[in-house]
Amino acid sequence: MINHETELKLQAYLDGELSPGEAKTVADLLRRDAGAQALYQELRIAKSLLAENELDRKLPESREFYWSKIRRQIEREESTLADGLTEPAAFRWWTRFLAPAGVLAGLAILVAVTLRSPNGGGTILALDDSHEIETPLEETSSFSFRSEAAAMTVVWVDSHRE
Amino acid sequence: MAGAVVFCASSFLARSGTADLNLQAQLVWGTNKEKPDDPKLKEVDRSVAEKLRKVFKWKNYFEVNRQQFTVPVGSSKRIKMSDDCEIEVQNLGNSSIEVKLYGKGKLAVRKTQKISPSELLVLAGDDKDDTAWFVVLSQLAK
Repeated sequence: MINHETELKLQAYLDGELSPGEAKTVADLLRRDAGAQALYQELRIAKSLLAENELDRKLPESREFYWSKIRRQIEREESTLADGLTEPAAFRWWTRFLAPAGVLAGLAILVAVTLRSPNGGGTILALDDSHEIETPLEETSSFSFRSEAAAMTVVWVDSHRE
Repeated sequence: MAGAVVFCASSFLARSGTADLNLQAQLVWGTNKEKPDDPKLKEVDRSVAEKLRKVFKWKNYFEVNRQQFTVPVGSSKRIKMSDDCEIEVQNLGNSSIEVKLYGKGKLAVRKTQKISPSELLVLAGDDKDDTAWFVVLSQLAK
């Protein structure tokens, strides 16, 4: 099982962003770990088929102004959060009502989920948002990714064609 | 309190997916070369081509086949896209679908996914001479 840090190292290795020492460590890992090797191949394929390796974004204003807007937004949200922590007693009365109501609503959802139809069709309530992928053929592999910019989910089927 | 529970439960039940899905599947071929002299190939809709260009490296996209079909909740439809390529779409309800892609009759990949009119689900793979094929699945607006 490859941890997230190793995944990032593999990506950095592919992009040539590692120091010689780190690159050697990753190269050694790739020689002895089949899982790392498979992930590296997927990343390599993904990199080769994408239109652009890095998205070049141009800011519509100066860098300083852009980041200062983000800082102001964070400060504003922190300030709002702090205000929320010191709400008057009247608000706390409402929370005493909303907390048990929330628990009951949660129970109602749980009951509805439990009542899901076993045959998959006619689902009473489908909260499951899992996106499963399966590749049964041995000679093919697949991976999935999403492009927010294109509003597109891609399942790439690799037939190991060279 | 009981009223609140009933309201919550009924609103969730009302949202449970019972709608048929009107879908479109396009078999698309991507290449960096110019359009081959094949009358069966059409230019892909501009919006789809632009989306594909945003993600993939190929410059030109040609439609080989297009199928529009409806899948009722709880049932599935198998659609032939070419001699070698078929898809099977099952409507799981709540705008979720399971798509199976068959290559030469063999199940190549199975994917479960939410779908909406603004989203594309693309099953794709490499082809010879640095080209690629794409099955572009979209939900048609009602």
